[in-house]
Amino acid sequence: MPLYDILHDTVYRYDSAVMLSQQIAHLRPRDAAGQHCLSHSLTIAPEAARRVERTDFFGNPVTGFSLYAPHDTLAVHARTRVHVEPALWPAAADSPAWEAARDHLRDGLSGHAPLQADARDAGQYRFASPFVPLGDESLRYADYALQSFTPERPMVEALLALSARIHADFQFDPAATSVATPVAEVFDRRRGVCQDFSHLMIACLRALGLAARYVSGYLLTEPPPGQPRLIGADASHAWVAAWCPGLGWVDVDPTNDVQPDTGHITLAWGRDYGDVCPLRGVILGGGGHSAEVAVTVIPVDEMAAHDDQAAGADGHAPE
Amino acid sequence: MSEVTKTGATPYDEMYTADGAVRPHYRPYAQWLEEVPRALIERKRSEADIAFHRVGITFNVYGAEGGKERLIPFDLLPRIIPGHEWSELERGLAQRVRALNAFLADIYHDQEILRAGRIPADQILSNAQFRPEMKGVKVPGGLYSMIAGIDLVRAAGADGSGEFFVLEDNLRVPSGVSYMLENRKMMMRLFPDLFSRYHVQPVEHYPDLLLETLRAVAPAGVVDPTVVVLTPGAYNSAYFEHSFLAQQMGVELVEGQDMFVQDDVLYMRTTQGPRRVDVIYRRIDDDFLDPLAFRADSMLGVPGLMRAYQAGHVTLANAVGTGVADDKSIYPYVPEMVRFYLGEEPVLNNVPTWMLREKDDLAYVLEHLPELVVKEVHGAGGYGMLVGPASTRAEIEDFRQRILAAPEKYIAQPTLSLSSCPTFVEAGIAPRHIDLRPFVLSGGKQVRMVPGGLTRVALKEGSLVVNSSQGGGTKDTWVVD
Repeated sequence: MPLYDILHDTVYRYDSAVMLSQQIAHLRPRDAAGQHCLSHSLTIAPEAARRVERTDFFGNPVTGFSLYAPHDTLAVHARTRVHVEPALWPAAADSPAWEAARDHLRDGLSGHAPLQADARDAGQYRFASPFVPLGDESLRYADYALQSFTPERPMVEALLALSARIHADFQFDPAATSVATPVAEVFDRRRGVCQDFSHLMIACLRALGLAARYVSGYLLTEPPPGQPRLIGADASHAWVAAWCPGLGWVDVDPTNDVQPDTGHITLAWGRDYGDVCPLRGVILGGGGHSAEVAVTVIPVDEMAAHDDQAAGADGHAPE
Repeated sequence: MSEVTKTGATPYDEMYTADGAVRPHYRPYAQWLEEVPRALIERKRSEADIAFHRVGITFNVYGAEGGKERLIPFDLLPRIIPGHEWSELERGLAQRVRALNAFLADIYHDQEILRAGRIPADQILSNAQFRPEMKGVKVPGGLYSMIAGIDLVRAAGADGSGEFFVLEDNLRVPSGVSYMLENRKMMMRLFPDLFSRYHVQPVEHYPDLLLETLRAVAPAGVVDPTVVVLTPGAYNSAYFEHSFLAQQMGVELVEGQDMFVQDDVLYMRTTQGPRRVDVIYRRIDDDFLDPLAFRADSMLGVPGLMRAYQAGHVTLANAVGTGVADDKSIYPYVPEMVRFYLGEEPVLNNVPTWMLREKDDLAYVLEHLPELVVKEVHGAGGYGMLVGPASTRAEIEDFRQRILAAPEKYIAQPTLSLSSCPTFVEAGIAPRHIDLRPFVLSGGKQVRMVPGGLTRVALKEGSLVVNSSQGGGTKDTWVVD
């Protein structure tokens, strides 16, 4: 059973002093099927004047904190130990036809059939949201998705097919987009990062009348053979979960065209990135700023080796 | 906002019966009108214009060329409602607002009405005004829309009687109450003798009622709550009203930058240092309230306000997320809410409404476009609508394409033959279409309102739209014993 230590460090440097800062962090992993958070600490420097732990409306743990003393650097260090079990995804071919998911949601949500609790919950993720507007673009997304969602095709099979096409048709290019790039532009330019591909896939699924949510988390990356794991070389990751009656939520990662397994660690989920971004805040003062984010996912059995190596690199090797 | 429409049928006239006789409640006025020389009325009219300019009662029109502010035309001929009619309206309005508040409390907690299948869940979940952030948040008294503006119109029945219908509920930040108050002041000043001929029920105590309402919804345990009015600033179309109400209530008028949140408690900056704020009568939209929770680019709100609100340390009036209940897509279900939550039959009826998301309704509406009014479900202020009888064939065809592209975005209603009221125009006195917006206050266990409300009038002959943003005017509204 994989056990991971996750280091997630964010450092903001401001050109001039920030007088007041209020931040919301989605950095503590929620418990999910096959995943359990064993320990979590969040170190804030300078120390926050106030800190509140709560749960947001999608059930994600949230840490809110405020700083009232002037500061020109803000560092947030998250240290998390999480236990992940292998995923038990249903056999793709055995899942119900995708139209069953669409109809179950449509009939329940439109009042033509009794509303089941599962559809009511999934319904939250069925419609346009701030980062996934549908509007006039809806038809284009639906057209694209329908090439994979052929009539009567098993839901999970269609989902994986769509993921594979996005993976093939779109190029991973961190320089092409920013947080603010609209889905429609990603669709036209055929490039982007995990956040873009996830939003795009969500748009495609919702355009078909399906429920899809945005999952924020981490991905375990394997260093090249024979080379040590580099600290801070990883990044936050994002993927998609789609809802299917009887099966519940089925995760798929269009950026890597895989179904998440023990290498994917879930942080939080919501309608889109805006609901779950790892750190967001409002500051007073500061002028310009730079941000550095470093994420490392370390399997715990590697930890001992990593500690030795890190200590050696710093020149503080034990006697 | 609302719009007035007409068809070939004779509209109900507030002053005259169909055979030209003056209705009993207008008789003293008609007699007075015969006695006074027309020149005097002309003189009073220019006096009124000057006075309104001096007081500075203005209204910004978005997108208008030229000056930013302008006067809302004020008509000197009052709209008179007999007391017994008003009692019935009052009963219906209180009932409706109770049901709407119960609906909002339900939608943000157990969602019984969705589970019971009385309202389709997609009408709520797909609505951008539905705020997940409000799920499970406890608000004082379970009240969401403490200040509601309910738009009423009167349509002629086949028997010549006039029945009131609810055209629209405004549960977010309804405006216009300052005109109601200023219109009354103006009428009393210009025509004191008229008020000796009638017993007109007073409206001047509205600011007192409003303040009582706001104090009644303060967070639990607060003994002497501090109330403020939150405005987006001087460029907002209703800025006059914000400052007017703050001044009338004797409370501070603040902008977002005047306040800050510390330890989940809201403070305003004063010359004596920070002062805790308990209740905000906010006149800015949800999206702009808190850049931390909603639009990050908002400069109008207060970072952390939502957290203070969720923690129960400050009350927002109206609550966040009330827009989900006054949307045109939810409007058709309000009578059902009255039955579901109160176990009563609605006193006030809705205008019959076709929902174009339903196949049968869509087919009917597409066949009858030239007779109908079609509205965008999420539109407001008279923008984005088709008034069939007043549109050219090309306009109708253009709108048909828009409907076909996304039928669920529209509802349609018959073009009611709406009531008219005699109005001073260039050529003398002529009938013009009117509506009525009473302001309904809910605080503690009570639902209260001052008699009448704001009467809006479409000043152009045959015009269908009374919105201030579309060039409508106003009248003083008298409820008489």
